[in-house]
Amino acid sequence: MAGSFPYEGGKPMATVMEIRRSHSRQRAKRRVDWIAYGYLSPALVTICVLSILPIFYTIYISFTNFNQMHFLSYQFIGLKNYEELLNPHDPLSNLFLPTFIWTLVYALCTTVLAYLVGLFLAVLLNNKHMKERTLYRTLLIVPWAVPNLISMLAWQGLLNDQYGQINALLHGVFGLPPIPWLTSALWARVAVIMVNVWAGFPYMMIVCLGALQSIPTDQYEAAEIDGANWWQVFRYVTMPSVWRISLPLLIPSFSFNFNNFNASYLLTGGGPPNSNNPFLGETDILATAAYKMTLTFNRYDLGATISVLLFILVALISWVQMRYTGAFKEVDA
Amino acid sequence: MATSTDRISSLTSERLPASRTRRRRSMQPGERVVLWASRVVIWCIIVMVLLPMWFVVIASFNPSNSYISFSLFPANASLVNYKTLFQGGQFWAWVRNSLLVGVVVAVAQSFITAMSAFAFSKLRFYGRKYGLMTLLLLQMFPNILAIAAFYTALAKLNMIDMLGSYILVMLGTSAFNIWLLKGYMDSVPRELDEAAVIDGATTWKRFIHVTLPLSTPMMVVIFFLTLVGIFSEYMFAGTILQSPWNYTLGVGMYNLISGQFAKNWGEFAAAALLSAVPLAIVFAIAQRYLTKGLVAGSVKG
Repeated sequence: MAGSFPYEGGKPMATVMEIRRSHSRQRAKRRVDWIAYGYLSPALVTICVLSILPIFYTIYISFTNFNQMHFLSYQFIGLKNYEELLNPHDPLSNLFLPTFIWTLVYALCTTVLAYLVGLFLAVLLNNKHMKERTLYRTLLIVPWAVPNLISMLAWQGLLNDQYGQINALLHGVFGLPPIPWLTSALWARVAVIMVNVWAGFPYMMIVCLGALQSIPTDQYEAAEIDGANWWQVFRYVTMPSVWRISLPLLIPSFSFNFNNFNASYLLTGGGPPNSNNPFLGETDILATAAYKMTLTFNRYDLGATISVLLFILVALISWVQMRYTGAFKEVDA
Repeated sequence: MATSTDRISSLTSERLPASRTRRRRSMQPGERVVLWASRVVIWCIIVMVLLPMWFVVIASFNPSNSYISFSLFPANASLVNYKTLFQGGQFWAWVRNSLLVGVVVAVAQSFITAMSAFAFSKLRFYGRKYGLMTLLLLQMFPNILAIAAFYTALAKLNMIDMLGSYILVMLGTSAFNIWLLKGYMDSVPRELDEAAVIDGATTWKRFIHVTLPLSTPMMVVIFFLTLVGIFSEYMFAGTILQSPWNYTLGVGMYNLISGQFAKNWGEFAAAALLSAVPLAIVFAIAQRYLTKGLVAGSVKG
């Protein structure tokens, strides 16, 4: 599929040349700069201590009964935590599965909607006759430029069902009754997705605009001479390029949303409360679940177990990404 | 699908002189309609996107917090919210804490990132080929997932509620930044570095006097992205910092609004405005360089 794209044609040749060049360079000076490890050591030390060690410690905690009751005298209990979370007959099982499904739905909806809105706006903005498009572009990236933490907290206030200005606007202009944005399960979920699309589409728009502007104009001219209508031009000239450039950034964006703690914790606090789940609310995603189990309920064991399950899911997503997009492949060049 | 794509691609390879003569100066009526239709759509979307932010601006100037009815401009604007925000100096303490953590972390991270990016870009060593990819893979697991480990370890070491431990936790280097900066350093002409080697420069001199000055733009981007990232970080700050005088701006603002909306909405809006505007400007400037690098990187691949 990728081979049909006209500009892929020249690539294998270039790669071969590059390999040959790097080989001859290596033959010229075969020495190893041992000092390189000195330059790498600060980064390696911080990554080991602050990324790798905590992961192993988390895995360890997930096999123990470490919680507030056993803060100093915890024991190894094997897979009991995993059984509790994954066995559908266990009362704690509705901690994991419903939260996981909602996390998946939320991350998918947010990423896809933000991508579609961003792509749509990029196509509209990529119009040479629109002289003032830089202004529009600047105005539209404002939600991305505002720190996520501030905008999420501001939305929490704006969506308040009694005093919030969104309901005031809907009532004042459209005459709608107040919508229980943050107190009904359904509306809270709609609000979380809506607000995160609001915060996420500018990034997609910028990426798509960059992709659109990298398409050579003679491709469009050729398509026009060929008698292609706008849909055919969009489908066969525009989309392949945009897709090729944006796909490597789309899957990381999905896994970012998958773990986007701020998105749900700062907007709804995970609420509203869920009647058949004493710990988590209706909009809690797995990342906020791990956080709440640790800090609110002091169940470090369960928090760590949810984290480990989340690690596995993130690894799966990353594997899919490596498999189908070959992102980062130029790193080893 | 394949046949049609091939048809268009085969046309692109031939230079058709006809396309030159058919290039128009003025717009056709159809294009004018499309242009105005897209303008109207864009205006509508801009209003939808920016209106909520305008509401926050109004709220910050609105003296009464319980003002419910809808208006586009504040009825009797005053700076009362800003005054209450500054009373007691707590807000400035939050700003100072955020700046302190942000600047320390951003300076340290930029330097650590630069050293590793230099090694990956200009030096040869065992593990160069797959080292960076391994680090990138490892960091697919965001360290927010290890919150239970961080919290219990810090609690056992009695390091909760200290700005120092927050700085320490935030010092973890981002492999993504190393990758970004390595790509930039790769574009620095090889001749300059080789000339320095021939002149007998040490590795440290090659790093400090040749590569680093030439990668200043990307260094600045990484510095500011890290700084803005600290201002946006809640999870660790909210975990570690417990007493109000130790709060960063984000934790302070979270505690202003969550659970007591009606009481503090005006104050929160003022704080949001004061902190979001400078950060948004910084981010908008840094982002221009960043997206250029991102798109260039993926086109290259």
